[in-house]
Amino acid sequence: MAAVPSTSPDDEQSTPTRPQDEDEPLLDVSVLKETARKALIDALNSVNGAKTLVLDSSLAGPLGLVTEVALLKHHGVDKMFWLEPGPLTATTTNVVYLCRPKIGYVKTIADQIKRHARESQRHTYTLFLVPRASTLVTRILEEEGVLGDVTLATYNLQFIPIADDVISLEHDNAFKEIWADGDETIVYNSMQALTTLQSHFGIFPRIVGKGDYAARLAHLVTKNLPTTSVDNSTSLLRSLSEKMDCLVVLDRRVDLVTPLLTQLTYEGLTDELIGIKNSHVELPVSLLNPPNAQNPPSAPSTSSAPPPASSLTKEKKRKHHLTTATDPLFAELRDLNFSAVGRKLNQVARRLDEDYKLRHQAKTVAQLRDFVGKLGGLQTEHQALRLHTGLSELLVPHTRTDIFNKALEIQQNLLASYDVNGQVAAIEELVAQGADMQIVLRLLCLASILTGGIKAKTLENLKREILQAYGYNHLPLLLTLASPSLAALLPNPLPASASTALAGASKFPYTTLRKSLRLLIEDPDPLEELENDISYVYSGYAPISVRLVQCVAQKGGVISNPAGEKDKKIAASDQSSGRTRVPGEVPKVQAHPIVGWKGFEDVVASIPGETVDIVQKVPGVSESGVPTVSTLMLPKERPTTTVVFFLGGCTYTEIAALRWVGRQNIGRKFLIATTGIISGVSMMESLADTELASGTSKDAAS
Amino acid sequence: MDVEHPTTTWEALQDGNVFYRKQQVYSIPGKLPHFGDFVVSGCRYGGPIALMRDTSKVTVLGGGSTAFAKAQIQVYSAAGEGLLLFSWDQGKIVRFGWTGDERLVVLNEEGTYRLYDLQGDYQQYSLGSDAAELGVIDARIHENGLVALTGSLSLLEVKGWEGGKPLTLANPGISQPPYSWTVIPPDLTVSRHVEVLLSVDSTVYSVDNLESTDQRLSRGPFSHLAPSPNGKNLALLTSSGALWVVSSDFQRSLADYDTTKAIGVSGQVRQVEWCGNDAVLVTWDTMALLVGPFGDTLQWFYAGPTFVITESDGVRLMSPDTCEFLQKVPTSSVAVFRPGSTSPSAILYDAWEQFIKRSPKADESIRSIRPELATAVNQCIDAAGMEWSPYWQRRLLNAAKFGKAFIDLYNSTDFVDMGQTLKVLNAVRFYEIGIPITYTQYTQLSPAQLIARLTSRNLHLLALRISSFLGLPSSAVLKHWACAKIARSKSTATADSELEDDVVCRSIVEKFEKLGGASVSYAEIARKAWEIGRTDLATKASALLDHEPRPSDQVPLLLSMKEDKLALSKAVESGDTDLVYHVLLHLQKRMALGNFFRLIEEGGPNLAPARNLLQVYAREQNRDMLRDFYYSDDRRVESAVLSLSEAASMSDPTSKISAVKAAQKFFSEDKERTFEAKMMEESARLLTFQQQLEKETDGKTSFFGQSINETLRTCLINGMSKRADKLKSDFKIPDKRRLIYVSMLERFWYVKLYALTEIHDWDGLDAFARSKRSPIGYQAFVKHLVEKGYHKEAIPYVARCDANKRVDLYVLCGDWRQAGKECKDRGDKAKLEELRGKCPNSLIARELETLASSMK
Repeated sequence: MAAVPSTSPDDEQSTPTRPQDEDEPLLDVSVLKETARKALIDALNSVNGAKTLVLDSSLAGPLGLVTEVALLKHHGVDKMFWLEPGPLTATTTNVVYLCRPKIGYVKTIADQIKRHARESQRHTYTLFLVPRASTLVTRILEEEGVLGDVTLATYNLQFIPIADDVISLEHDNAFKEIWADGDETIVYNSMQALTTLQSHFGIFPRIVGKGDYAARLAHLVTKNLPTTSVDNSTSLLRSLSEKMDCLVVLDRRVDLVTPLLTQLTYEGLTDELIGIKNSHVELPVSLLNPPNAQNPPSAPSTSSAPPPASSLTKEKKRKHHLTTATDPLFAELRDLNFSAVGRKLNQVARRLDEDYKLRHQAKTVAQLRDFVGKLGGLQTEHQALRLHTGLSELLVPHTRTDIFNKALEIQQNLLASYDVNGQVAAIEELVAQGADMQIVLRLLCLASILTGGIKAKTLENLKREILQAYGYNHLPLLLTLASPSLAALLPNPLPASASTALAGASKFPYTTLRKSLRLLIEDPDPLEELENDISYVYSGYAPISVRLVQCVAQKGGVISNPAGEKDKKIAASDQSSGRTRVPGEVPKVQAHPIVGWKGFEDVVASIPGETVDIVQKVPGVSESGVPTVSTLMLPKERPTTTVVFFLGGCTYTEIAALRWVGRQNIGRKFLIATTGIISGVSMMESLADTELASGTSKDAAS
Repeated sequence: MDVEHPTTTWEALQDGNVFYRKQQVYSIPGKLPHFGDFVVSGCRYGGPIALMRDTSKVTVLGGGSTAFAKAQIQVYSAAGEGLLLFSWDQGKIVRFGWTGDERLVVLNEEGTYRLYDLQGDYQQYSLGSDAAELGVIDARIHENGLVALTGSLSLLEVKGWEGGKPLTLANPGISQPPYSWTVIPPDLTVSRHVEVLLSVDSTVYSVDNLESTDQRLSRGPFSHLAPSPNGKNLALLTSSGALWVVSSDFQRSLADYDTTKAIGVSGQVRQVEWCGNDAVLVTWDTMALLVGPFGDTLQWFYAGPTFVITESDGVRLMSPDTCEFLQKVPTSSVAVFRPGSTSPSAILYDAWEQFIKRSPKADESIRSIRPELATAVNQCIDAAGMEWSPYWQRRLLNAAKFGKAFIDLYNSTDFVDMGQTLKVLNAVRFYEIGIPITYTQYTQLSPAQLIARLTSRNLHLLALRISSFLGLPSSAVLKHWACAKIARSKSTATADSELEDDVVCRSIVEKFEKLGGASVSYAEIARKAWEIGRTDLATKASALLDHEPRPSDQVPLLLSMKEDKLALSKAVESGDTDLVYHVLLHLQKRMALGNFFRLIEEGGPNLAPARNLLQVYAREQNRDMLRDFYYSDDRRVESAVLSLSEAASMSDPTSKISAVKAAQKFFSEDKERTFEAKMMEESARLLTFQQQLEKETDGKTSFFGQSINETLRTCLINGMSKRADKLKSDFKIPDKRRLIYVSMLERFWYVKLYALTEIHDWDGLDAFARSKRSPIGYQAFVKHLVEKGYHKEAIPYVARCDANKRVDLYVLCGDWRQAGKECKDRGDKAKLEELRGKCPNSLIARELETLASSMK
């Protein structure tokens, strides 16, 4: 083993935080991207000749992750427009609309077509609906009298890989649609997407879930198997998956607490404070362009989504695609607690500096050539470092503000159930100071959920404060938050006439969960010590959702810190062997097979919402317990992937936490599937139907 | 030997390098009418032919055949068996042809077209009102669509056979109908879109949906245009009788042949059709002429007019007496049977024959081809597939089996498959079935399609046996059988129909269960029953419908059977929101609004998703209905919210205020919503106040629709502090008992602080700070000013803050000197040291040092 290349100590340290674990390949989800891309090309090619593409803006982001503008141009797209109310000037005969089947969009399309008809412009219209056609669209086109002019077709865009281990439907409003509107469309679409996933990788041997809608989805997935396998186009639907051992479905209602909290990982905090949309973040151009223009190849791949029609922001901003594919540094940073990011950047900077210095050691021509060969990589890394340093610098002032820190403090106190009345008073003070409405509402909902309701009189006063400070037009939002389906902002005690559903939903057993799921690590040690537990991501709080996943996939991790006791032993042995312990290195444990909720039945049952645990059988081969046995055997034999599906969206921080869990095991990887990435901000905004922005102080200033 | 050797039908072309063979498939003397008097259309893959009396020709009345007073279409199998006869009661037929799945498309001059299956059932579609107005003068029908030529000489394309909307192709800009024309189907063109070729004047226009291109030819006009089966080449016949073959992009001229030079040519050319992809067959009334790629020809004579149908690997030729198949002899057959062939397969075959004769030569022959034995075996298997006669099939397979025995580890799958396939092919080629399909065509068509063709002829037993023989799912056959059974049982008397229904239903279910047709769509069968008026059977045999696992099939049927409630609950159960919408929208259209609401309301919690969806839809598209819905159900809160959302979209102040007031009224009707009602009252009051403010500023400043905080701010920024005070007192919370909660007053202070900072009114801020003891403290002043970058302005306020915070606040303001002084005043030496450690430059450090030393 003499030939082992000498790696710098820094290198060694960074390995545990790297997501790509050498030994076990994940499911190759890029096939999903390829499918989506091919379907898009097929859709475009089905319309002959040059075409004007009109895009629903909520699709632009997702499409940007699948394809690039050049590809569209290559397939005959002449010009692109946003689907917006108002006239459409198309130069080509073919007009292709691509949108989700939303009533508003369809009405806009109908208007544009009618306008063209009045101006006697002749166009051929094709409407691609994503992900599938809808009777509703047909009906509205019919009511508007343009059904005959439009050719309807579908573009089935389902899961999009947004990272190696994350696939998303990129459906932003799923949470609002399910729990505020009661529109279950996304549940059905999720079922179809999961079925597609099964057709690629085989049937999930087991489906475990929590939450009413999660149960509905789980039942839909099982119910729809036999019918889809009839058209035997997808033979994999006839066999249990060998690569996946379980699907864990969680609906957002089960854990409303987590998204309400301020995310503290690098990626999560960026989403909270700057906003990440479809993996793209808007950054000042100066940050994205390398200062010396001599190395353009190192420029990150930017704005693969079509540029917005009107960008009237003061400082020029550009969209940057946050991806680990072109930016390995991001892979190291994204899941770190923000407090550790500075240190990490520093480390990388030093390493980079050393690498550059290597050129002085290059003596022979061959060595020099080696160095020049590495130069491109170094420059890319250099640019990435610059970008992330700049981005962190953008974040830091936000984290220094009074309001941000006060909000954090209130959250931590509420989580610890410490002086609840005082926290409510603090929230009211935030209202007076003119904090963002979403911050106030998130804290208020948090208080309500964690403590089982806010005192009726207090709540009324607070609501009045909010309405006066931010506008009376937010009354419907408050009503929505109090509705039985959400039950996020309730008085205590409930009014006598409240329905039983509401009463049931209001009893979130937070205090017992805190103990049984070890949610809060009291008196956290310095963060490095915490790194082994998922509570690291929230500086001391472990997300309920992820703990629930652990209940299924890593039972030991729920009960105690997996590194806990062993830590000391390792530390001891490290000392004896003279090796410094690498912070964050986890003693890996072989993953145990999936046995459902076993061991946590009572805890899980105490959370409102249905509990599911289904062992799937291959249709046709419905013999007794045979498949179960084989699933029990599986994980021992070969590494498997557990798919975790968040119905209603998940946060970047939850993803980070799940990655931590994945790293603590041998033999099990997680594939995180979600309807979309959410944050407390986006959740509140979608509930408010995006009217929130008008009430925030941010926009009042502009 | 009574079976003639395969080569007897062979005829050589190109100096004996290529052979063509013409085999008689069926003998059909007198079974078909005289082609000369009829318009004929044939279906590929051994499909049937359809005939209609050609009204442009004179016929002898009572001349033996039936009189054609009205338009009739007859369909015959390739073996001349009558399959279907129906009369046409619509406008004049301009064209009929076959779809890929063996349905007959009949298009009339009004642009209406029907798709007939072989049982005479049809679907009717139309090309739209434009086409009906202009009239359709001609059309070309290919397997997956049609192109129609309208009266105004424009082209309409229909894709697929689902009644899709016709697409207008580029206008060729011609003034009279083309001499002849044809289409290249979309799956054969480069662009994957249909291409139309029109012979105009001396040239050809090629038209697709984008443009019409003049190919700039000079040899026209052409009387016949025929694309080859693979779409790559084109055969054109000029009016002078010259046959010209070009690539379909007109770039390469492939062959040129003057048909008038052929011996025995008389009269008009009937058809120009391709024989496979490499030869063209030209027919006259009594003669057929095959023109090979190098201009060499073969010719045959017939007793009367013929009809030829291009197949992918040859051409089917229906003459008055025979149905024949003409093709280039496949390479494997040539290899085995060609006289003097020395190919391994020929030697293998010879060896086998020797073996049968118990001649020792067999061994010698096998030995000589040892290395190529596998090829020889494969070729023999393939050649077996190419033979029509079971005798030769068997012999070739035997030869293959013989050769196979000499090979170690030979994979026999091909051999077994070929044996199976040939059994199937021989069965369907039998004259009573009458599907003369070749092995090549069979592989293209797929076994499932062949079975579908059998079921469409009501040959269920054969279809079932073949599908189980080939190991294919039998569900499709069973379904068709059940539908046919129901249709057949229709004629029974009504008296004992109930009994009859039971019998039919039971027999169907029994059969399905016995044959394991678990995946059969019961809904389609039930639909069939429903369509032909057997409602009882369909519903009562809810046995049938309840067996249906797919709601997407079940629900529409329930809906059409007016089982509304069941349809709705099934749709909800399925989780498919689109299906729910389907039912809702359908019912909304059909039912009285009141009944509709009642149906949805009475569903209880199970129908909650449907209720929600209705609201989602109505909120965007049909607000009036939503209002009625809420009203009819006494949903005050929802009504109020709806009213508010309307207010949000309004711009006219008066109507906005009245909408808010309406919401207030709704809230006040619910005794639990007094808080909300009060808030709405405030909201309306604020709006009125803002209206007044706008009037006072002559509309220069906009207030309307702002929150109280914003209104305060706008007032303060615009120097209307009096009005701000008024607003503050108007909206103060009357409750005096609150102890720990900040009041309107505190919010007012913050707003005023922010506003004055924004307009840099430092004097005003100072006055404000002194006006009263700040309820928010003065630290807030300092912090806000620093945050906004006014460090200097912040300094005066530090003195008013709590003593123990001042040092840090001074540092915050950047006033180190004051901070140091503060430390000194308080005698806090440690703090001073700390400051010194943090201070930004040496100058200050020195000063701090002096201070520190002075403290001693």
